[in-house]
Amino acid sequence: MNIEQTLQTAEQLLTSWNKEATHPESNRLDILITADDLRPAVTALHDARWGYLSAITGLDLGVESGQLEALYHFCNGPAITTLKIHVPRTADDAVLPTIEDIIPPATFFERELHETVGFHISGVKSMDRLFIPDDWPEGVYPMRADFKIEQAQPVPGRHADELPEEGVVGGNTFVVPIGPQHPALKEPGHFEFTVDGEIVTAARMRLGYAHRGIEKAAESRNWIQNLYLFERVCGICSHVHTMAYALGVEKLAKVEVPMRAQAIRQIVAGLERIHSHLLWLGVAAHEAGFDTLFMYSWRDRETVMNLLEQVTGNRVNYSANVLGGVKCDIGAEQAKVIKDGLDFLETRIRHYLEVVTTDAMFLNRTRNVGTITREEAERFGLLGPTARASGLVRDVRVEAPYGAYTRFPISAVTAVNGDLEARCEVRLNELLVSCFAIRTLIDNLPEGPLFVKVPRKIPAGETISRVEAPRGELMYYIKSAGGETPARVHVRTPSLCNWVSVLEKAVGRQLADVPMLIAGMDPCFSCNDRVVTVKHSGQQKTWSWKQLREYGIEYYNR
Amino acid sequence: MNIKNDPLWVQVMKKVRTWARLNSIWAIHFNSGSCNGCDIEILATLTPRYDVERFGIKLEGSPRHADVLIVTGPVTRQARERLLRTYEQMPEPKFVISVGSCSISGGVFEGCYNVGGAVDEVIPVDVFIPGCPPRPEAIVDGIIQLLTHLKEGNLPPSQTKKLVEQVPA
Repeated sequence: MNIEQTLQTAEQLLTSWNKEATHPESNRLDILITADDLRPAVTALHDARWGYLSAITGLDLGVESGQLEALYHFCNGPAITTLKIHVPRTADDAVLPTIEDIIPPATFFERELHETVGFHISGVKSMDRLFIPDDWPEGVYPMRADFKIEQAQPVPGRHADELPEEGVVGGNTFVVPIGPQHPALKEPGHFEFTVDGEIVTAARMRLGYAHRGIEKAAESRNWIQNLYLFERVCGICSHVHTMAYALGVEKLAKVEVPMRAQAIRQIVAGLERIHSHLLWLGVAAHEAGFDTLFMYSWRDRETVMNLLEQVTGNRVNYSANVLGGVKCDIGAEQAKVIKDGLDFLETRIRHYLEVVTTDAMFLNRTRNVGTITREEAERFGLLGPTARASGLVRDVRVEAPYGAYTRFPISAVTAVNGDLEARCEVRLNELLVSCFAIRTLIDNLPEGPLFVKVPRKIPAGETISRVEAPRGELMYYIKSAGGETPARVHVRTPSLCNWVSVLEKAVGRQLADVPMLIAGMDPCFSCNDRVVTVKHSGQQKTWSWKQLREYGIEYYNR
Repeated sequence: MNIKNDPLWVQVMKKVRTWARLNSIWAIHFNSGSCNGCDIEILATLTPRYDVERFGIKLEGSPRHADVLIVTGPVTRQARERLLRTYEQMPEPKFVISVGSCSISGGVFEGCYNVGGAVDEVIPVDVFIPGCPPRPEAIVDGIIQLLTHLKEGNLPPSQTKKLVEQVPA
């Protein structure tokens, strides 16, 4: 089915609630509906299995217009259907019904919508603070057009993170807090696992320790400055963030990026994937207690770091992209260095593949642990290698090729088991594919200029740009009002969608498996830092340390 | 006479302490809102290529066992209290190394609504390592500068600063 037919199917499905249909781009369909029709419209798309909910973007259309806009983006291959809803800006009227019971991962998006833009979501189970601090004043929303930083004074008497105290919950159950500073986590996140003996019975998490407010900052910086700001959303996948941003801005500015620049972007993205997955392999091995593998994989990762430095001049934030192209070329000498490096890496990756599939100790920690079936992966809305390990092909490079992938296609790597072993296999096999792809690109590097000029002011309009990051689909929504700064940039990172896999799968497992489960989805806190979610199964009461102590004294005095 | 008051004993003990301290620095890493860039470079310094363990430096999980606090990232509102709490839990003498441009000044995140600013506005810092992110060599150099400074019998830089500030004008 081609894009037009796919979009026509969506339009037919939504016809009874459709107030106005527009085609902002050839692969997109925007349908204006009312807030009351949201739930039936989402149910219609969901029941017909038309794509998956990729993100919800909230916009403040300004004080004069007096309206807020919510955009529910559904992606199906390259086709995107957006449900557009307008509600008044006033606190009592800005209400949307929840869809978390229809699509579970939507709970993350809805929380973000509520806290940053100020939509009220009716019917949700929990309204705990997600990613903005608990001492943030009520009724102040950072993404509103009239937000002033002075409004965000801390509420006296409240902590920035109000966490329930740990302790005995009742019976034999106990709450084990992990983080935000914890040796198993290199980044800050807080988890509470309720355990009955060794078995986890409930999981809860609180993020936001690395929430910096980048989307708001983007509105006060110009188009070029933002390139370097978005590079620093995440230091591990910095290149794909700038790539998603640059691709979107180039689409808005209607400039054609030379094929050579696109190929070089793809080479850097491939090298970044190798560095990211080797980093992940090391961290996952460390969580499993296999420090030898950790040290070896990080030693070999230095080879790819050298290659990245060779090409771009930097080890971490490469700054390879500029708006309209790239700023570094790959000559014959560099091509040879890269190929030699890839030869070494390929032999090492094959070796690691053998280790993770044959080492008995490691297999005890990974085989049949945290298994996610294909159906569950689809229901949880998983992305990237986590989804592909369950046999669900979610890869933007294959589903909706962009940049050089239109000319140099790539194949998706999948597995069927869906356990942690499958995720290791998928990631390592993906590296072999990446090595092959980089070689092909270097051998067939198109001739031409490295960049084209992009105007300082970007024409008014809005666009969606999706790329495949090492962790899954990365989505940027970019809106321009025709000025030197963007009107709104919304970032939805893959880790945000994959958290469900940890929280759902931890329940019923041993506490010792939890670090591996967290590592299994390759979380990136700085990317997704915005969310909290709660999953309780029959929790009775939380005891404070003081109560616990009093209970202990009373017990022994009896 | 109590041996503890013997000047020779005091001098010997001081030397032993300095020797021990300089050869077994245990560090704790705290991410106060960083983008990960500095964190992976810190991890890289621990792994075979750069291998700071040859200086006796080891990453430690608990603040109560650590001598050095390595902080990355601008201090976000939510991380601020946690950073303070981690610092307070560390035993004396303790040293703080702030890694990366955003931990020194806020960097690209300066002015963001959820960012409080530099690390040294929250806790006293001994060594600043600039860069976005600093190379592992730079991180190793920063740690060695701290060690050299302490070897000469000096106070940690942050404490010197406090003393200077206390001098009446």
